[in-house]
Parts: sequence; structure tokens; C-alpha cells
Amino acid sequence: MKKSLKPSDIAKPSDCLCHIEQGELSPLPPPYEDFNQATITVLKPEKIKNIESSLDDTVAIGIPKPASPEEEEKLVSQFLSGLKKLFERDNNWTFLQPLMLSMEHCAKCQTCSAACPIYETSGRKEIYRPIFRSEVLRRIYKKYLKPGGRITAKLTGDIDLNWTTIARLAELSYRCTLCRRCATVCPIGVDNGLINHEIRKLFSQEMGIAPKEIHEKGSLQHLRVGSTTGMNSLAAKDSAEFIQEEMEEITGYKVEIPWDVEGADILLLHNAGEMLAWPENVGAFAIIFQAAGISWTLSSEAAGYDAVNYGLWYDDVQFSRVAVKHADIARRLKVKKIVIGECGHAHKALTVIADRLLTGDLNIPRESAMVTLENIVLGGKLQFDPSKNNFPVTLHDPCNIVRSMGIVEPQRRILRKIAPRFREMTPHGVENYCCGGGSGFAIMSGYNFGQWRNLVSSRRKFLQILNAFHDEPQDIPKYVCAPCSNCKGSIRDITDYYHAEERSGLHYGGLVELIINALAGMKKPMIRFGEKPSWEP
Amino acid sequence: MGFYILSYVCIAVFIGATGCLIYRQITLPLHVRWEIYPVRHETTARVAYGGSYMEEVNWWNNEYKSSHINELKYMVPEILFLRGLWKENRSLWLVSFPFHFGMYLMIATFGLLLLHAVITLGGFPAFTAGNADEALLSGLIAATGWSGLIMGNIGSLGILYKRLTDREMRIYSSFADYFNILFIFIFFLAALITCLLGDPLLEGAKAYTFGLLTGGHSPHPYVPGQTVFGRTTIVLASLLVAYIPLTHMSHMYMKYFLYHKVKWDDAPNQRGGKIESAIMRNLDLKPTWQAKHVGADGQKSWHDIATSAPKEMK
Ligand code: SF4
Ligand code: SF4
Repeated sequence: MKKSLKPSDIAKPSDCLCHIEQGELSPLPPPYEDFNQATITVLKPEKIKNIESSLDDTVAIGIPKPASPEEEEKLVSQFLSGLKKLFERDNNWTFLQPLMLSMEHCAKCQTCSAACPIYETSGRKEIYRPIFRSEVLRRIYKKYLKPGGRITAKLTGDIDLNWTTIARLAELSYRCTLCRRCATVCPIGVDNGLINHEIRKLFSQEMGIAPKEIHEKGSLQHLRVGSTTGMNSLAAKDSAEFIQEEMEEITGYKVEIPWDVEGADILLLHNAGEMLAWPENVGAFAIIFQAAGISWTLSSEAAGYDAVNYGLWYDDVQFSRVAVKHADIARRLKVKKIVIGECGHAHKALTVIADRLLTGDLNIPRESAMVTLENIVLGGKLQFDPSKNNFPVTLHDPCNIVRSMGIVEPQRRILRKIAPRFREMTPHGVENYCCGGGSGFAIMSGYNFGQWRNLVSSRRKFLQILNAFHDEPQDIPKYVCAPCSNCKGSIRDITDYYHAEERSGLHYGGLVELIINALAGMKKPMIRFGEKPSWEP
Repeated sequence: MGFYILSYVCIAVFIGATGCLIYRQITLPLHVRWEIYPVRHETTARVAYGGSYMEEVNWWNNEYKSSHINELKYMVPEILFLRGLWKENRSLWLVSFPFHFGMYLMIATFGLLLLHAVITLGGFPAFTAGNADEALLSGLIAATGWSGLIMGNIGSLGILYKRLTDREMRIYSSFADYFNILFIFIFFLAALITCLLGDPLLEGAKAYTFGLLTGGHSPHPYVPGQTVFGRTTIVLASLLVAYIPLTHMSHMYMKYFLYHKVKWDDAPNQRGGKIESAIMRNLDLKPTWQAKHVGADGQKSWHDIATSAPKEMK
């Protein structure tokens, strides 16, 4: 039997601390057995020779290797200085209390392990266990920052601190999707997702280390250009024009997407990725709001047409800057409320987390689109023909909307009204599994990270989706409703990776597309299964 | 008298250390919301599936409500019977439940012993040895004491066994973890032996508790310090009281903060309210994070930084 890894092993140099062997991942059912022997493609030596890659089979950040022992030492002391700041009120008032409580009260009972989809589907790899990284951080903190720590470490758990420890810990903080499923089952209330979040912050806020997709091309670009997609305001308006034309074809009437309307009731914030990848989602919102006679607007101001806030995953400073921008745009437009479109992390960022950041007239009321849409769909003003959605539908619960915000039923009440063949996944609601793309994973695909995501972190979701449709013939089209851009991105990727459209008839999309698809009076269906329309006009 | 001094010191350490733990928690700055659903003080309809007040249209126009009854409905079985563990980790529950319940029963026994001592001290004529009220209280003391000791012994031994034999738990267990549980087991064992060897009605414990209130005077000829097991029990019980708040075992009561101040803290920030004032104080704090994009210099506040562009962009 192989020796189990211990938290202290993270400090011991080796080429690869943890490798997933063939056949170790949770098995997939037919017709996907051919993936059961799949492993993560080994990265070419020339690709990784200058970066830290000794944690496992993939690389999320790609931290440059220090050039000398002196540089290593400097990085170690930077790390310690950052760790200290995590426990200071001036530096970390945002999460100080939750962090201290979670650091001090873990009983190491392992109840959380079975709740973690990554740990479970990876073949129970020790480094992915929820408390592995927490315990590494806890031991470093106690040993190197607490008085007498070097002596008590022998009694409370020892660990060595060197560059290997730090580089691996940084990478390891990007092997958890911050789904917080582990936190819901902890009998004490300890939150390993939170500890992981704080590790990411330490690296970003003190050492400037973060995956480029979420920092450089993410939050920095968001603040500089206006959107993490790189789209400026003009390009956003152009896409909207194109969307309007498309929507006209579907509805048979002119659909207006209003921009910068001062005093509108609602400022709708979309994840700008929708405009590029799923423009029909933006169009569907426009049709619903127009048909319901709602006073609404989009904002063309930089950051105002992109609801994302990547800071939520790794950096409180970047988080605050984006949140303040969003609120300030709404304030100047004098809208009554902000409605957040189908983007899970944007929901939690602006509604829940920023609630303890925005004061005075920046504290504009904020509402989930799930709620606004429920009010419209169930309000009786619009007529629906649910038989148009006569295909099996299941619902994915984005962690940020459901587990972190408690918005569980509105989307279900809508589906019960418009999708006669709706069925739940098991488990669902606040006990859902993450899509595997949470906390930035959906947009990270450098090196071979995308493959790791498809094989490991999204695996549980894929199994759940297959299971939800197990009683349906393989060749009929099925719809996974994922009311979140990042979740949709990961579900798109697993559908492609496992050829699930061909093998199981899997299709995916948002909630508003289903609403429009069943809306009475449409000239054409909004949902198509490949070339096939979901209903005949 | 030496035993009493030790007990007084340990009780003082417990009060001091617990006070420090609580003081530290209540003086921390208000943190951002990080609740996780189900939030148990939600309405009955919503708590059933983990919903929140944010499921309502224009939720900010409604009064923020928090149901203590629903919270209790969850908390009481959670604290008493470890319902979460029963659901999520049954094999650990089998040893953890008797351990925790044994502890609660010991705390209850101590409470009853104190009550007995106070009434005895009060010199109520109706409460003399052998009469009905005294017999009832003594019976209760014996019942809670014995059941606590039996459950505590089974539970602590079971946890020790599980920690030693379960691979997952062993990897993460340190010397301190084994020490803690062994310490508690020896206490339970010593106390059980003391009772078994001639004090089935916990007369020694009654006398000792009375002595705690009177600086060592005891109306009773038998005090537990007369036997080696009795002495061990007093020493270990006293040390345990002092030791708990110094370790993660303080989760027994610090769980309050983990649940109420983090997991279930969903109170919305309202303009002009207390939360808003606390946020404003936080925004005046001055960070010193070193990464370039932060742009902190120890002079700029969170407010300045949040309303400025990252350095890389300038
Ligand atoms: S985080 Fe909670 S569930 Fe996990 S080991 Fe620690 S105490 Fe147990
Ligand atoms: S937050 Fe989610 S992914 Fe991270 S350790 Fe917990 S269960 Fe696993």
C-alpha cells in the first residue's frame, strides 16, 4: 500500500507531489467508459521548465521559478509578512473574524472530506482534501508567527517553510472551487473554502501572484478597458445591435436594448461574456423586459456593461474597486435598483459581499434576476405555452446564487410553470455540487488546466447531469438549465470534452432562453438542438 | 486545602481565558457577509429548503426578520445530539455522541451539585438529608453523574481508538490531539473508579462542591481527596476546566460565533444604520499590502484605495 501524504510532505522537494493514475478517477457510466482510463496529459518539459509545477499534474498559475536562493528567501519572507497581515484588522477587516474562527476550531474529524467533489472524484487524493491546505496554513501560522511556535510545533503539528511549500500552496489554492460544500457539513462551522480564499488573497495582495486569467486579463483589464472580455463600450453596443436584429427574427417585432437611460427602474448587469458567447441570453432578457413593460437600462460605461467581479475569488482590493464602480454607475444613472443577470459570482459579489462595503447613496438596492423574472413569469402579464418546452430539462444550482445567497425557489417556480419535463438533480438546492468551474476555473485554461477541470473538478457535475436524465432515451435532446455564465462555460466544456451532445443528446443554456422558448406569440423557437429547432413554427 | 486552591486557580483560568476569547471576538471589526444557506433563523417555509429573504421582490422594503424559534429548533438537537454528525459522519457519531453527551451530563451534574451546595448552605429546614426534596436532588445527581461517566468513558475511549486506527484521522492528528483525548479519558476513568469504589451516590463530589463554596469546609466526613482516584479526579477535573479554553476544544461554546457571526450572519446593511457606521470605520483603516496593484502605503485608507485605479493601469 502506498504511503499517505501528510501536510508536512508539501515541503519535501519532488517533481510531482501528487499524480492521478489511470483508473483512479470516479468511474463514468456507459457510454463514457472510454474516459475511465483517461489521465491528464503530461506537460511538455520545455513548457514548464521555468515555472513551478511540482504540485500535481497541472498548473494554474505558472509561478516563475526564483533565480537564486536569495530570491527564494525573499519570497518566503514576503509570504510570512502577507500571512501576518491576514490576521491584522487594518489589512483584513473584511474576513478577519471568519478566518480566525476557522483557523482555531477545526477538530480534524474529516466530516468535510466526503462533501468535496474534487477530493472525492479525484480518487481521494490527499492534497485535494478540504483540510489539507488549511492544515498547511495553520501549521505555518502557528509555527512561524505565534510566540514559541517553533517549540510547540513539535506537539501541535510540524511543517517546514521553504519555497517549495509556498509555491505548492499557491498552486493548491487553485484546486478548490470555493464551492463551500465542505463548510455546510462541518459540525463546528469551520469553512475550508474560506481559508483557501484567504490563501489566494495573501498571494495576490502581498506577492502579486494570481492566475493571469483572473488578474491581468481579468480584474485589471476590467478596470482598464471596461470588461474582462477586453470589449470596450463601443464593441458592447455593437454586439447589442447585432443581438437586437437576431431577436427581431425570433419575435417578429422590434426589440430595443436601452442604454444609459437615466431614472430607469432597473439597471440590468450582464456578465459581458454572455454578449460574446451566448448573445441569445442578453436578447432573451431584452424581450422579457420589453414584453413585460419594464423600465430598464444597460450601462455603456466602463465596467457597467460587465457584471463580473473576479476579485471575489482572490483579492479584496480588486473586489472593492469593481463593486464601487458598479454601484457608482447605478447611483449616477439614478436607477431604483440593480438587477443582476445570469451570473452567479456577480450575484454574490454585489448583493452579499459588497453589502458591507457600500455606504450612503452607493448602497443601491440589488436584486437577483431569478427573483425579477419569477415576478414577471408568474405575474400573469405574459402568456406561455409550456408544451413548446417539451423536452427533458434539469436545473444546475450555481453555488453563489443558491448556497451563498439562499435564492433557491424562484428559478424552480419558473421552471415548474414553463418546463413540463423539469426534473431535479440529486442532490440539489443548497446541497448542490459545483459545476467545477467555480472561483475562476471556468475561465482558466492555460497549460493543461482545462483538462484537469473537465476530468476532475467538473466530473461530479457531469455524473449528476447524466443521472438526472438516466430514464430518458439517449438520442433525445435534453436541456441543462444553468443560470450562470461561468457554470454554463464549464458545462459547455464538459459537453464538448465528453462528446455528450452526440452520446447523450445533452444541450445547455440559461433560464431566460427557456422562458422565451415558451413565450406565446414567438415566430421562431429560441432554443435549437444543433440544427433542429426545439419546436416547429 | 491544596485541592481547593488548584480548583480555584483553574476556574479562574477558565473564566479568564474564556473571557479573553469572547472579548477578542466581540471587539473584532465587522466583517463582510459570508453566510451560508440554510440560515436557520429564516422563516419556517424558507428554512425548509435553505431560502433567504433575498428571494422576495424588492426585499429591502420588507422588515428584516430573524426567527429564534427556528434557530432553536435546529440548534438544540445539533448541540445535544450532534445531528449534523449523525447525518454526515455516522461512524464518528457513534463515539462522538457519547463523548459530548457525557460531557454535557458532567456539566449538568456539576450544576446540580452546586444547587445542592447552595441549598444546603441556605440551611432550609425542608432540605435535610433523607427528606424527599433532598432525596430527589441527590437521585438526580447520581443519575446524571453515572450516566455522564459511563457515556464519557465510552465516548473518550472510542474517540481515542478512532483517532489511532482511522487512517484519515491519524494523518492529521498531532501529539496534542492524542494528549487532549487521553487526558479527558483518564479523567472520566478516574471519576468512574472513584464512584465504583465506594461512592455510588457521589457524596464526595457533593462535599467537594460544598467545600468550593465555603473555602474548604465540609459538613460531610467523606471527601473524595481521601482516595488516590478521588484525588486524581479532582486534579484532572480542575486542570481540564482550565485547559479547554486554551485548545480547539473551546469550540463547545465558540461555535456560537462560528454560527451566529459567520454562517448565519445575513443582516443587511441599511442606510444610516449601525452596520453602515461600522463599515465606515472599517473603510478608514489603512492597509499595508505590498503587491503593486494594491497601491497601499500605510497612509491611504481602504476607502481611498477602493475608489482609485490599480497602479499597473496608471
Ligand atoms: S473542517 Fe470541520 S468537518 Fe472538516 S475536519 Fe475540521 S472540524 Fe471536521
Ligand atoms: S470549497 Fe468546495 S472545492 Fe473547496 S475544499 Fe470545500 S468542497 Fe472542496
